[in-house]
Amino acid sequence: MDHSGIQTTPNAVPGAKPKPRPRRTNPVMMCLNAVASLRLTVVLFVFAFALVFLGTLAQVDAGNWTVVKQYFRSFFVWVPYLTLVRFGQVFLYFPKDMDVPGSFLFPGGRLLGCLLMANLLAAHATRFKFIWKRSGVLILHAGLIIMMLSEVSTSLFAVEGNMTIVASGSSNYVEVHNTVELAFVTPADSKTDDIVVVPEAMLRKGGRISSDELPVDVEVVRYLANSKLSKEPPPRDRNTATAGFGLESEAIEQKEGSGVETEQKIDTPSAYVTLYSKQDGKSLGTYLVSLRLKDQPILIDSKPYEISLRFKRAYKPYTIYLKEFHHDVYIGTDKPKNYSSVIQVIDPSRQEDREVTISMNNPLWYGGETFYQQGFLEGDTGTILQVVRNPSWFLPYLSCAMVAAGMLVHFGIYLLNFLNRRIAT
Amino acid sequence: MISFARFFPWAVVGAGGLYLFLAMLPVADSDSEMHLNEFARLPVVSGGRVKPFSTEANNSLLIISSRQSFKDPKGNAQPAIKWLLDAMVSNRLFKQDAALSHEVFRIENDQVLNLFELPRKPLFYRYSIDELSPRMEKFGHQVEVARNVDAKQRTLFDQKILDLENHLQLYATLANLREPRMVPPSGDSMEWHTLASSISEAAESGDPDPNTLSLFAILGSYSKQDVKGFNAELDKYQQRLAKEMPVETSKAALEAWFNDFEPFYHCIFLYIFVAILACVSWLVWREPLNRAAFWLVVLTLAVHSLALLTRMYLQGRPPVTNLYSSAVFIGWGCVTVAVVLEALFANGIGNVVGATLGAMTMLVAFHLGSSGDTLEMMEAVLDTNFWLATHVTIVTFGYVATLVAGFLGIAFILLGVATPWLNRDLFKGLSQMIYGILCFATLLSFTGTVLGGLWADYSWGRFWGWDPKENGAVLVVIWNALVLHARWGGIAKPRGIAILSVVGSMVVGWSWFGTNQLGVGLHAYGFNKELAQGLLIFWSVMGGFILLGLLPTQKWSSFGTQVGSTPPPRRPPRKRGEPPVFRGDKGSTAIRSTRR
Repeated sequence: MDHSGIQTTPNAVPGAKPKPRPRRTNPVMMCLNAVASLRLTVVLFVFAFALVFLGTLAQVDAGNWTVVKQYFRSFFVWVPYLTLVRFGQVFLYFPKDMDVPGSFLFPGGRLLGCLLMANLLAAHATRFKFIWKRSGVLILHAGLIIMMLSEVSTSLFAVEGNMTIVASGSSNYVEVHNTVELAFVTPADSKTDDIVVVPEAMLRKGGRISSDELPVDVEVVRYLANSKLSKEPPPRDRNTATAGFGLESEAIEQKEGSGVETEQKIDTPSAYVTLYSKQDGKSLGTYLVSLRLKDQPILIDSKPYEISLRFKRAYKPYTIYLKEFHHDVYIGTDKPKNYSSVIQVIDPSRQEDREVTISMNNPLWYGGETFYQQGFLEGDTGTILQVVRNPSWFLPYLSCAMVAAGMLVHFGIYLLNFLNRRIAT
Repeated sequence: MISFARFFPWAVVGAGGLYLFLAMLPVADSDSEMHLNEFARLPVVSGGRVKPFSTEANNSLLIISSRQSFKDPKGNAQPAIKWLLDAMVSNRLFKQDAALSHEVFRIENDQVLNLFELPRKPLFYRYSIDELSPRMEKFGHQVEVARNVDAKQRTLFDQKILDLENHLQLYATLANLREPRMVPPSGDSMEWHTLASSISEAAESGDPDPNTLSLFAILGSYSKQDVKGFNAELDKYQQRLAKEMPVETSKAALEAWFNDFEPFYHCIFLYIFVAILACVSWLVWREPLNRAAFWLVVLTLAVHSLALLTRMYLQGRPPVTNLYSSAVFIGWGCVTVAVVLEALFANGIGNVVGATLGAMTMLVAFHLGSSGDTLEMMEAVLDTNFWLATHVTIVTFGYVATLVAGFLGIAFILLGVATPWLNRDLFKGLSQMIYGILCFATLLSFTGTVLGGLWADYSWGRFWGWDPKENGAVLVVIWNALVLHARWGGIAKPRGIAILSVVGSMVVGWSWFGTNQLGVGLHAYGFNKELAQGLLIFWSVMGGFILLGLLPTQKWSSFGTQVGSTPPPRRPPRKRGEPPVFRGDKGSTAIRSTRR
């Protein structure tokens, strides 16, 4: 602290030493000191601020999910100049049809996160001492590290899916909305079906797929990651399909990956597959399968099957019955007051059989998964539950508590010192 | 003179108290006239909640006319409840048409006026049904055209046409007794009914319930201007309701009193007055004016708090439930923080900053409140008092602290640049204030933002979604962290911190109102042209202060040369990191240490 009359350098707060540090000759330490600099912290904060701001504006044009991937879960991002124009159009009277081509490069969320982490760790390695006055900063920085780790862990390990149940019906599987599978279903007995599926990864690879479990050999003629189904079939000589719904409709390729989470738009994958009998190797025809098409009946070796391209289903050891679904509104309005599902969870593997009500802000935790009231079928005829498995769900809670506690301790020490000084004068 | 100086603050506070007390007194009805105020206290159901007629009348007229009163044919201002009663008897049942000549429909758009072939009424802009009805057919055609245009492609004219159509529809629903639901539940039914449906039901069954009869009789007496009959029927009905539903009746009466009192409206004036007092106190008669300002701001804050608590009681919810209430609460928080600062530092800054922020936020609230019911019911997702009380309250307090820090920064810049009053003590005091508040701002905005994530995780399994509103909150956190680290790293000195905190208040403006304007995301409430313009003005003014703060310190009135040395010797430009020299200092080189 300097001894001039006014205080131009900060109080002796933890986290910074205004005095120039003695020069170290060790090059490792010099590097570390450079990485640990508070100037770098501030510069990184400026970039993080700008990135979050740009990532907000970008959502005017692109879907939330696309922006998250491009801006926050990437190392670099090309930001279109148009993004800045959008701000001008909303606030600065820029013309509505203004268009500026081109884009500029900007560091992405992953890169800034890594740099901030390096900066933080280096700072602790070089500057910080373990004394009680700095305990607050230590706790809060540890909390921040946990928060960054939890974001990484969530993006790697969390699984989200949907369970749709019609009223008085039941379900024992969760649909995962970013993966599809080709399913062959045949009734096993009056109550259960035999199901064999080909996962999306194999369909994407293409070529001929043979397996003992499949009733046929499958050759993927063409796989479309996102498509639109035409109402008219293509001319006969240009149609890839030779049987099934493909005779009435055509799959037209669409750009992939503009899945807009808030608008619930999801890619529609389709595929043309040729099926070959296992007995004589003869073709059973080329079929068009698509997420938007119903199950197609097909006779394989005189056994009835239904084939479909559907969301990947994860079958569960438990079954959920929907007893009632309620959609309450405020009296005299159509403003929703509450959505709730009265369900019965039956799990023979755990001898579980109980009735639960899931409603907004009131999820069910069961077997490491959480069930949330997400939506409902048109006309209140059924419920849509969001099912999430996130092994690191507690990390945000922990880190929030740590950072808040750390700040309380840190600023509390400052406040106490300040009040003491005031009382003393 | 000394005794007057001592007496003066109490005189000011006493006058303020009397003003508020008079405003607070319930409006009494005279017995020679119809008890309209009593009628206004009756409970009804509308928008999914129990409220008094008073609220229904005020809000409907506010939507239609942007005012809560109207002018009768003689040019006298009349309360909204009279307009509502006139509307409720202008139908086939009561056959009165006084309401048709009330000039209440606000039309400013020239094209719309041309359509109706009506003259402009500058500074008034309000028209009656009688004036509109000759061209109703043409208007109906335009409404069809506007409806068929995609919402995003609509022109201003289309929008104004549809707005007017909505206002006319609102009037028609009220006039045809299809809104509000004014007949309380009776017998087995637990539902409130509209008078229209109750009357048609009674006509079918031939067995009307007593509440329907009473309301019918009250409106009947009103339509005949039968003062005695109106008051007698009203009295009978009131007494029965008080017995049948004491809670609803007393809550509705409280809300009607609250509407008449208009506490936030009076707070605006008092805060403005305090801001003026506090500013003048810098020029003359410092001590008494400053004390008067302080105690008056405390009194206003007490009324502000009382009003906030009343709203919470009426709604049964934590303070912040929509944009309007966030403005009321942010104002309350800012004034509270400023009062604490003034009590701690007693340098007059807290008074100015608190009163300015109080007046500004109340004006914003006043503007936001003109779009309808401010005690509206919550959407299903938000229907949880726990998270509203924790996440919303804390994140709002984070905004409060950041705003206060920004305005302290403005005080620092203005005092330093434009006046010679930024002396050593004030410089130090202000820097400490800004720093302390920034610490709180960081703590609260961080905790509040993360609690929002936890709410999302708890309620729909998604901790962080990078939604615009969430991003807005995290921008406030990043900015505060940036300022604090810049200070700790010695990158920004007190002046720099002051400038950076002004930027912080711009960030709060973005996060609070700006993100909603983009029209995307889960928290979007839609674009509001006036809010966007208001925000632009706010940013421009803040930008002006920042530019002022960036003036080299030689140009600052408070820094530079010594007092009394003529002619002032030119001081060499200050080096980076070197402390500024105050005008009040004796000698520019040997600076006395203030460390004890």
